[in-house]
Amino acid sequence: MNLEKALPDFNDGEKIKVVSVNCGRNLSRRLCDLGLFEGTEIEILKNDNFGPIIIKILNSKIALGRGEAEKIYGEKI
Amino acid sequence: MLWAEAKQKKYMEKKSNIKVGLTGNPNVGKSTLFNALTKSKQHVGNWPGKTVEKKDGYLNYNGTKIQFVDLPGSYSLTAYTQEEAITTTFVLEETPDVVVQIVDAQNLERNLFMTIQLIEMSAPLVLAVNLDDLARKEGRVVDTKKLSLLLNTPVVVIDARHKKGIDTLIEAIIKKSGNKNKSKIKLTYGAEVNEKVQKIRNFIAKNDKQMRENELDWITIKLLEGDIRVDQKLIKKTYYIELKSLTEKSVSHLETVFGKDIHNILANTRYGFIKGLSTQVIKCRKNSGKRNFAQTVDCLLTNKFLGIPIFLIVAWLMFQSTFTLSEPLMGLMESLFIYIGNHISVVLESIQSPYWINSLVIDGIIGGVGGILTFIPIIGILFLIIAILEDSGYMARVAYVMDKSMQKIGLQGKAFIPMMLGFGCNVPGIMATRALETKSDRLLTILINPFMSCGARLPVYVLFTGAFFSAYQGWIIFSLYILGVLIAIIMGFVFRKILSKKSLSPFVIELPPYRWPSITGLLIHVWEKIWLFIKKAGTVILAFSIIIWALASFPAGVDYGTRESFAGQIGETIAPVFKPLGFGNWQSSVALISGFTAKEVIISTFGTIYNAEEGSSLEVALKNNFTPLSAYSFMVFILLYVPCVAVLAVVKRETNSWKWPIFMVFYTTLIAWTMSFIVYRGGILFGFV
Repeated sequence: MNLEKALPDFNDGEKIKVVSVNCGRNLSRRLCDLGLFEGTEIEILKNDNFGPIIIKILNSKIALGRGEAEKIYGEKI
Repeated sequence: MLWAEAKQKKYMEKKSNIKVGLTGNPNVGKSTLFNALTKSKQHVGNWPGKTVEKKDGYLNYNGTKIQFVDLPGSYSLTAYTQEEAITTTFVLEETPDVVVQIVDAQNLERNLFMTIQLIEMSAPLVLAVNLDDLARKEGRVVDTKKLSLLLNTPVVVIDARHKKGIDTLIEAIIKKSGNKNKSKIKLTYGAEVNEKVQKIRNFIAKNDKQMRENELDWITIKLLEGDIRVDQKLIKKTYYIELKSLTEKSVSHLETVFGKDIHNILANTRYGFIKGLSTQVIKCRKNSGKRNFAQTVDCLLTNKFLGIPIFLIVAWLMFQSTFTLSEPLMGLMESLFIYIGNHISVVLESIQSPYWINSLVIDGIIGGVGGILTFIPIIGILFLIIAILEDSGYMARVAYVMDKSMQKIGLQGKAFIPMMLGFGCNVPGIMATRALETKSDRLLTILINPFMSCGARLPVYVLFTGAFFSAYQGWIIFSLYILGVLIAIIMGFVFRKILSKKSLSPFVIELPPYRWPSITGLLIHVWEKIWLFIKKAGTVILAFSIIIWALASFPAGVDYGTRESFAGQIGETIAPVFKPLGFGNWQSSVALISGFTAKEVIISTFGTIYNAEEGSSLEVALKNNFTPLSAYSFMVFILLYVPCVAVLAVVKRETNSWKWPIFMVFYTTLIAWTMSFIVYRGGILFGFV
């Protein structure tokens, strides 16, 4: 249970299963279009501990603002 | 009766006119394919009633005339914005014979998300799988035969960049156009969703007898998703209010049952279907895991310490190479116009045309329009470099790298792209603000965009720095660009405080794989821009050159371009306003007024007015009227003052009110005056002259 963390708390290279997406409707549906929603598996490609993070959704690289990423929770797989 | 028969017959025969829509995710090679298919037979315009660019092109293939329409790239067909609504509107209302979706083999799953939506809309679909070679290199092999079988849709492998598979695609298109069989795939969304879908579907079917069968399914799903286009379509129906409340109830019911929002529910099912599909069609070999060159480069470019410095170097190189590359070409163009001018004047004298015609042609037209056309190389190269940055995939990285800094002024990384584009021209820059979701973010980015020094202002700097700062030309011009950026940042900060502190648009951007831009694609793009520029020179600038010439020639009897002419009188009246800034001569005032139509006109105005001084070049004339300091102050003013008419028009269109363009006129001019004052007076204090 305590494995659940917000995306910016994960490190480069960690593979994550998305548990919850708690952002606004607009962003949530953008992310759905890109293939990120509850239950999907993603990978943290780059997290500099400041600024946006880069994640891998399906086979594409997506940069996600830090504030947005903080609203997405996942657990390591 | 007869008409129906004729219509029937038309469908029986092989069609001789085919309309094809090209669609797909961003960065899948859609424009490359469009260029490969239509070559130079392209037409750029706007979608009727929309501000979104519409591109179409034609191809003759063995007697069949095919019209290709380039649809805006998007990830999904649910329309939340005007741009996204275009593809759906096109498919449903313009009844294309075929819709081609270009699919990136490296990213098949996400691309199929859109495919499913197209199939749900019963679009006459052909899939063109692009970038298959790159996918294979990554170890992903797509079984296109199986994909075609499972989706019941023709699938063609193409290589848009190397123009492979194009003929096969065209043949598949022609074949599809004669075949009205729709793909029979129907996605089931699970019992709960299906029940609601059925309920809404029945409601519409009961109340609206005209609705076609295939439209029903699609409209129902889109209603659940909250698609704006469907709302626009149904809002006038008598049953709309009842339908809307039924939909809202269904959505909230589903959302409570599933514990997530409706997009998540639908995306889950769609991606579930895709997952099943892709396990059958994609064969993954284990990737070597070795870092390739592109990945190493990417690590450098997005590095937390190096990212911004690298970007600054790239920006600096961009301006330096714009100058060095264009300089010899500009020299050539200049000699060409001098040559033409001399010849024409000889011809005019030989036919003994009246003096005023000589003056109109030589001073007015060649002095004005010719002066402008010499700047074609510099503008072409600037647009070329910006296009390379965009097409290669670097621009998205810049947005990523700049996000942190942009957040400080209350914007996000994506707002940086409109600013970069503004260096080319503020009009596309302002249009690119559409990528920002919230209104206040868009408005803010629009308001500061004119401070990004556009390509039209560049010729003015080149002219002035050439005359006054030839040794440090590049640096002086660079300083102006930086000043523009700084002012934009400061104003962004100020506006953010005033406008709203509401939450920012979310920052989500795809970082596409690096690709070499295609040469033909770049050339077509640059040619479009140059052609626009030439058109502007032939219309607006020509007209203004003639007006300025007339103002400088009349009232009858005055010497051309003197203080006594109308131009001189107008300039004299305004000049005192600019006196504290160091350019209180009447010529500058006239040039600044005419620069309101387009910034390049400033040069042609100077060209037209100063042509009076026989034998002296524009540079010499400027040296007689400006000091280096007042020249710099003048350039600062040009950088910051009123954006051109085209920009104001686009601001009006994008903000949908006259309030903002009018505001823009005043606030930019105020800032320009203040900054020039500081520069000029400060310069004098520090002993510059």
